Amino acid sequence: MTNQNPRQDIAGADVMDSRRTFEIVRAGMKRRQSAEKRFRLYGLLAILLGLTFLSVLFVSIIGNGYTAFAQTYVKIPVYFDPAGIDPEGTRDPDTLNTADYSALVKASLREMFPAVTERGERRELYSIISTGAGFELRDSVLDDPALIGTRQDIWLVADDEIDMLMKGHVDRTVPELDRRVKDNQIAWVDQLNSEGRVEKRFNTNFFLAGDSRDPELAGIRGALVGSFYPLLLTLILSFPIGVAAAVYLEEFAPRNRLTDLIEVNINNLAAVPSIVFGLLGLAVFINFFGLPRSAPIVGAFVLTLMTLPTIIIASRVALKSVPPSIREAALGVGASPMQAMFYHVLPLAMPGMLTGTIIGMAQALGETAPLLMIGMVAFIVSIPGGIFDPATVLPVQIFLWADSPERGFVERTSAAIMVLLAFLILMNAIAVILRKRFERRW
Amino acid sequence: MSSVDTIEEAVQLKRANFKQAAGHMDSLTRKQEQRETEGDVRVENPRLRCNDVNVYYGEKHAVMGVNLDIGRNEVIAMIGPSGCGKSTFLRCLNRMNDTIVGCRVTGQIFMDEQDINASGIDVVPLRATVGMVFQKPNPFPKSIWENVAFGPRIHGLAQNKAELEEMVVTSLQRAGLWEEVKDRLEQPGTGLSGGQQQRLCIARTIAVNPEVILMDEPCSALDPIATAVIEDLIDELRELYSIVIVTHSMQQAARVSQRTAYFHLGNLIEVGETTQIFTNPVHKLTEDYITGRFG
Repeated sequence: MTNQNPRQDIAGADVMDSRRTFEIVRAGMKRRQSAEKRFRLYGLLAILLGLTFLSVLFVSIIGNGYTAFAQTYVKIPVYFDPAGIDPEGTRDPDTLNTADYSALVKASLREMFPAVTERGERRELYSIISTGAGFELRDSVLDDPALIGTRQDIWLVADDEIDMLMKGHVDRTVPELDRRVKDNQIAWVDQLNSEGRVEKRFNTNFFLAGDSRDPELAGIRGALVGSFYPLLLTLILSFPIGVAAAVYLEEFAPRNRLTDLIEVNINNLAAVPSIVFGLLGLAVFINFFGLPRSAPIVGAFVLTLMTLPTIIIASRVALKSVPPSIREAALGVGASPMQAMFYHVLPLAMPGMLTGTIIGMAQALGETAPLLMIGMVAFIVSIPGGIFDPATVLPVQIFLWADSPERGFVERTSAAIMVLLAFLILMNAIAVILRKRFERRW
Repeated sequence: MSSVDTIEEAVQLKRANFKQAAGHMDSLTRKQEQRETEGDVRVENPRLRCNDVNVYYGEKHAVMGVNLDIGRNEVIAMIGPSGCGKSTFLRCLNRMNDTIVGCRVTGQIFMDEQDINASGIDVVPLRATVGMVFQKPNPFPKSIWENVAFGPRIHGLAQNKAELEEMVVTSLQRAGLWEEVKDRLEQPGTGLSGGQQQRLCIARTIAVNPEVILMDEPCSALDPIATAVIEDLIDELRELYSIVIVTHSMQQAARVSQRTAYFHLGNLIEVGETTQIFTNPVHKLTEDYITGRFG
């Protein structure tokens, strides 16, 4: 009797009629279903919108930038005149080094176009070839002094304006005064082109050279090396410090007001604008400790401060996700807390920690603002050889090129962005692979 | 079927039932104050001797003044309704409660004339002597071999690889798992079945050659066949170790233990020979519990 079903006790009551429930539910079904459809539609729209913006970004960057991977070269017969290079015939490297090689290029051009005699016209003629061509000739002579006295057909880098002309970025219908490339130059280049002396080749310069004021000579190697040093140093500093901090806070620290305060502040640090870290670096590392300006080591310290909160937070989440039963099991057989940590908890948390670290490093790779503050925005031609040499990083290089007026830098800016994005995608891919690879189930 | 014709009557009946239940609850809560334990808590030459053990979780007094001896080579079962403090008491015996924030233990637990709660006692050798098997099988996500070798390795019990090998094999044999896993020692311990995992955890515990093994509801996550295997194993292990087992199954307590302790709301109500507890309990609460009147 006491186990009666209350539904049966009050079977007569209208409010509890199951038919009525059914009717009400069925009447509301249409509204529920349309609400669900609407919700799915919103989600789909959001994703489509995101994909649209992403594809616009990629199309515009790749569309602008892919031409930078090719560079116009002009083939010119160069006579390595001993009188100009090494008048005394000593083959002394110092003499070879200081000779005027651009005169050779000019002489060759004069020979090819004997009709050009007027000074202004000659200057226009010379500017077909990049000012860097002389250095190229010097390097080949230093490599092989036997070239002196011979006549060689040599492919030389064309000036960036000519490069733009060949890539179709110069509108020939525009009045001559409004163009950087003059009618004369167009005629000469067309003539050279018809002789098969103009060619677009893969732009090795872009990957092998440092920065330059001349777009045809500018490359990203300096910026790549300049990014590599601070990033490596940041990883070396921030990974152990971040993991140690996370382990201590998560596993060993007592829970009190002080650790609460530390925790809140770590979360706050993750949200501090990066330029503030730059100012801090400027004030502390450069002004107080007297470290050199523009140096990768200062950049690394600043980026370490920036990535630490990211790594600590990710590592703590990874540690929290390790089931407590693993810790108990280890403690239960008499492991000390440290042994339980290093034998069991840390290996299980490692994939999450590595993912957080790589995401932090990717963030650091793309960081610009704090590095401007510590002087990594300087125009630096040479490729840095160490952590104390002045350097620029890839995003700052992009910033500098985007700021330059020459038409040739437009495509190079986009190309540099492509390289940066490629590295970021690569790093994120590694993060995904690591997570998939080392993920353990328990 | 129905002597109740109207809704009003039904409601009245329900209220009456509820009041009766509430009254029962009142009588239970009134008995919360500490009281004497029925039966003989002391044994000859005990392995562990607990004097007036109290456990507090913050303000909550979870275990109240428990006196109990754990004998040598005996299986002692702890039974009682949920939340009665039996697991908490068990965890005092190897100080696993240390890991819980806000948990405080008072009283003495003597092992070889030494109070394990005294200041200056390191928990590492204690836990090597008093091993523990948990409710949910928790093998490390490593190979079977690594699972068993972990204890001897961290304590440096083996002089060389051969000795370690022997320890692992012996432990797996004693845990009755050797025949099933000898061909796949390199495979992950988490790939075994639930019962095998629990026996792996027992092997891991006995690999460090403890004197006492604490088992916290070791079979509650297992099917009846796996449970039977583990119960047989417990009976065999009694030859070598003292075993304290917390269980929700009174049948299990009756099957595996020599002595039984009944806990109720933080108090140790009654201790005695298992047969006596199950056939002729002294205390009313014990009788109510084992006859299934509540629990």
